[in-house]
Amino acid sequence: MSFVRLILRNVAVRRLRSALTAVVVAIGVLTVVTLGIVLSSIRTSALAVLQTGRADFTVSQKGVADVLNSNIDASDVAGIRRLPGVADNAGALIATTRLNRENPIFLQVGLRPEDFGAFGVTLVAGQAYAEDSPHDVLLGWRAARNPGLHVGDAFDLAGDHQRVVGIFSTGQALGDAGMMLPLSTFQAAERQPGEVTLVFVRAAPGVDVQALRTTLERNNPQLVTVRTASDFGRADRSLQLIEAAAKGTTLLAVLIGAVIVLSTTLMTYLERLREFGVLSAIGWSRLRVLTLVLAEAGVVGLVGAAVGVGLSFIVTLLLQRTPDLVGVLQVHYTTDVFWRALITALGTVTLGALYPAVRAARLSPLEALRHE
Amino acid sequence: MSEPLQSPGPRSGGGQTVERDQLPTLPHRGRATVPAVSVRGLSKSFDRGRVTALDLESLTVDLGEFVSITGPSGCGKSTLLHLLAALDRPSSGSVQVFGQDLRRLPSPTRYRRTEVGIVFQLQNLIPQLTARENVEIAMFGTGLRRGERRERATQLLADVGLVEQADRPPTRLSGGERQRVAIARALANSPRLLLADEPTGSLDADSIERFLALLERLRRQQPELTVVMVTHDEQVAAVADRVISMQSVADSPTPG
Repeated sequence: MSFVRLILRNVAVRRLRSALTAVVVAIGVLTVVTLGIVLSSIRTSALAVLQTGRADFTVSQKGVADVLNSNIDASDVAGIRRLPGVADNAGALIATTRLNRENPIFLQVGLRPEDFGAFGVTLVAGQAYAEDSPHDVLLGWRAARNPGLHVGDAFDLAGDHQRVVGIFSTGQALGDAGMMLPLSTFQAAERQPGEVTLVFVRAAPGVDVQALRTTLERNNPQLVTVRTASDFGRADRSLQLIEAAAKGTTLLAVLIGAVIVLSTTLMTYLERLREFGVLSAIGWSRLRVLTLVLAEAGVVGLVGAAVGVGLSFIVTLLLQRTPDLVGVLQVHYTTDVFWRALITALGTVTLGALYPAVRAARLSPLEALRHE
Repeated sequence: MSEPLQSPGPRSGGGQTVERDQLPTLPHRGRATVPAVSVRGLSKSFDRGRVTALDLESLTVDLGEFVSITGPSGCGKSTLLHLLAALDRPSSGSVQVFGQDLRRLPSPTRYRRTEVGIVFQLQNLIPQLTARENVEIAMFGTGLRRGERRERATQLLADVGLVEQADRPPTRLSGGERQRVAIARALANSPRLLLADEPTGSLDADSIERFLALLERLRRQQPELTVVMVTHDEQVAAVADRVISMQSVADSPTPG
């Protein structure tokens, strides 16, 4: 018999208790992994808006709760364009609205036709609108596909009759499920004349992008630049708050799980006092006894992690089909998910089993053997 | 042939000779080397010294000797065995086993794993394991590979006549069979000292007879094995080379 087999045997002998403990761990893993997947998805979707096109970085108003609440004045856009090292920039007014049940978050982007290149817009059908046309719009190919709209078709949005003059692609799921319209038309409709939400900046070849960002932020203290996912929190506080809440929930899930694991492991420890006494009496070292108890908990934790990950896949699939999240939640399963599950599960069982394991290892064999 | 075994008594402080060799004994096989067990002025007390469980002036067991220790309940027989197994520490005095001072052992578990085999009255087998696995687990940490442990466990079970029951859990073995598994486990690491605490206490007459026959056979096969057996059964004790009768600590005379 190998040590591993002994561990598995001990877990299997207490099937019901091991299964219940694994369920507790699985619930913790489910919570943590699902939150992680949803958060990562929200971050990816939000970041997709910021990283649309061929921009080297995006500029947003500093300290806004939601990046879509950012307001940048036209004079700032012009100032950015004049900065040495800036090859091109595009200001876009961005808003969301509910289109229908399938598109609860429909992205509307006001953009000048000459900025399509900087924004990364590729026309796949039709033509661009004129900047002064009040009713011409472009639809993303995803937005056009579902209702089967084509160039020349009418498109109604909140009672306004629009005409589809072209179909575009940006390579971003959220963007391709939205629409574009002339910047000035959209600014008038939103009552935000001369304002944009974000500015997409392309640096001239050979320019140090990081240095350019630093200069831009120094010259415009009300603005912030975003280039990577880790920069996102600088522009969007709500995501920061959600992430903080998720961390708190993770910690809570691990702690609650650990307390439950502690109670079941302590119960098992009390039942096995005599066994631990025998092991010590026949010459098992404290380290081996400690390893035995922790490894048994580890096996239960691994089972819990596997079950938790499986359940989280199911839950995220269901969430994706929730009307309010259709199109928003783009679930990406990464290796990070599995690491998160493993760390949560092993953290939970280690926290819960450490005290009983140490007690078992330090147990006086005589006291244990006297135990009935 | 042998030195007197004395217990000074817990409260008297004076020496008291404990009866010995009251039962027929086999010839004493003393040797001129370091004794297997050497005890001097040994005492064990509990409850901050208020309860004395053992007070023993001296005891020597030679290499390869089989000693039975008898006496009434509470006289400290099992306590002595626990001290010899390093399961407990003496309150005072010295215990040496094969020349090692048990009070200064760097690792009592290592000592129990390599030098001592213990047989308990209630066998203390692990219920979820088979007879063979119960023997195998005693060999964890000895450097033997899994296959070697299995092979040795099977051989030991064959030696105690239980090879056909090797894959049965303890719940499917009789009391006598369980005790034989416990002996196989105690011998797993080829100890030089076998300690048995009331090994026949829970066995029927047939099983006792088989157990004693097994002990005899073991001793013939391993003449270097030293055995210290605690028992309250005088007939069982009589199979030893030497029988030591301990008096109850409470029965010891008090001064004045």
